[in-house]
Amino acid sequence: MAGVWRLSARCGVHGGRALLLRAPVGRPAHLAAFLQDRPAPGRRGAQRIHLPPGRPALRWTSERAVSALLLGLLPAAYLCPAPAVDYSLAAALSLHGHWGLEEVVTDYVRRDALQKAAKAGLLALSALTFSGLCYFNYHDVGICKAVAMLWKL
Amino acid sequence: MAALLWRPVGRYGLRGRLGPQLCIRHAVPLGTSAKEDMERYRNKSAGLNRPISPHVTIHSWSLPMAMSISHRATGIALSAGVSLFGLSALLLPGTFESHLELVKALCLGPVLIHSAKFALAFPFMFHTWNGIQHLMWDLGRGLTTPQVTRSAVAVLVLSVLSSAGLAAL
Repeated sequence: MAGVWRLSARCGVHGGRALLLRAPVGRPAHLAAFLQDRPAPGRRGAQRIHLPPGRPALRWTSERAVSALLLGLLPAAYLCPAPAVDYSLAAALSLHGHWGLEEVVTDYVRRDALQKAAKAGLLALSALTFSGLCYFNYHDVGICKAVAMLWKL
Repeated sequence: MAALLWRPVGRYGLRGRLGPQLCIRHAVPLGTSAKEDMERYRNKSAGLNRPISPHVTIHSWSLPMAMSISHRATGIALSAGVSLFGLSALLLPGTFESHLELVKALCLGPVLIHSAKFALAFPFMFHTWNGIQHLMWDLGRGLTTPQVTRSAVAVLVLSVLSSAGLAAL
C-alpha cells in the first residue's frame, strides 16, 4: 500500500498531489475509526473521506517529523539562541530542503539517467550546505546570532 | 500514427515476411519494451520541432493551485538562499561581521532596508504557514473544499501580517 502511494506520488503531476485523498496517515486506531465514521461537515450525509488501513512509509513520516521539528525550532531560535539550536537548525534546514528539492527533481526530471544525475548533484549540494552551516556555527557567530545581527541592520 | 505501421518493420526487419508458420503474430516475443519504444519515438521527434499541446496554460487558476505552486516556489527560493549562505560560509573569505559591515557601508535608506526585510520575510512566512496547512491536511483535517478555501485565506492573511510584523522588528 505504501509502495503504491509512493509510486503514484512520483508519477503524479504537481497539482494532483493535493487531491490525493488516499494518502495514508499514521494515527492510533481509535482515532482512525472516529475520523472515518464522522461525515464531512457541511454536506448532508454524502461525502466520507476514506482512509485506508496500514502504516505510511518511513520516509513520509520522517519528512513530516522533520517539518514539525523545524517549526518548533523557529520560536526556540528567537527565544533562546544557543549552539544546540544552531546545529539543530543546520541539520533540520538541510534535511528538509534536501527532501523537498528531491521531490521537485522527481516531478520535473522524468528521464532516468538525467534524474539520477540531478539527484546526485542535489545530494552533493545538500551535503555542502550542511557542512557550510556547521562550519558557520563553529567558526563564526552561529545562525541565530547571524539572523539577529542581520535584522539589526 | 504512421509510426504504428512501422512497428512490424522494427520487429521483423525489411526483408520479406517469414514463412507461414511464423506469421502467427503473438508467437514471436515482443522485441522492444515500452521504454525502448518511447526512447525511439523521442529520438525520432527530436529534430522535428513539433508544437506541444497547451497544458499548463489552459487551466483556469484556482486558489489551491496557486497556493500549492507558491509553496513549491517559496521552498525552492528559501533552499537556494540557505545553500547560498552555507556555500559562501565555506568559500568566501572574511567573517559574517565583515560582510555586514560592507552592507552597512552602502548607507541604504531605511525604506529600502525595511522593504528588503519584508521581501526576505514574506516567502519565509508564507512557506511556514502553508506548511502548517499541509501538516493539518496530513492529519486528515480540513480537506473539504470550503475548509481548504478558508484555510488558504487564513494562510495568506497570516503571512502578510507576520511578515509585516517581522519587518518592523
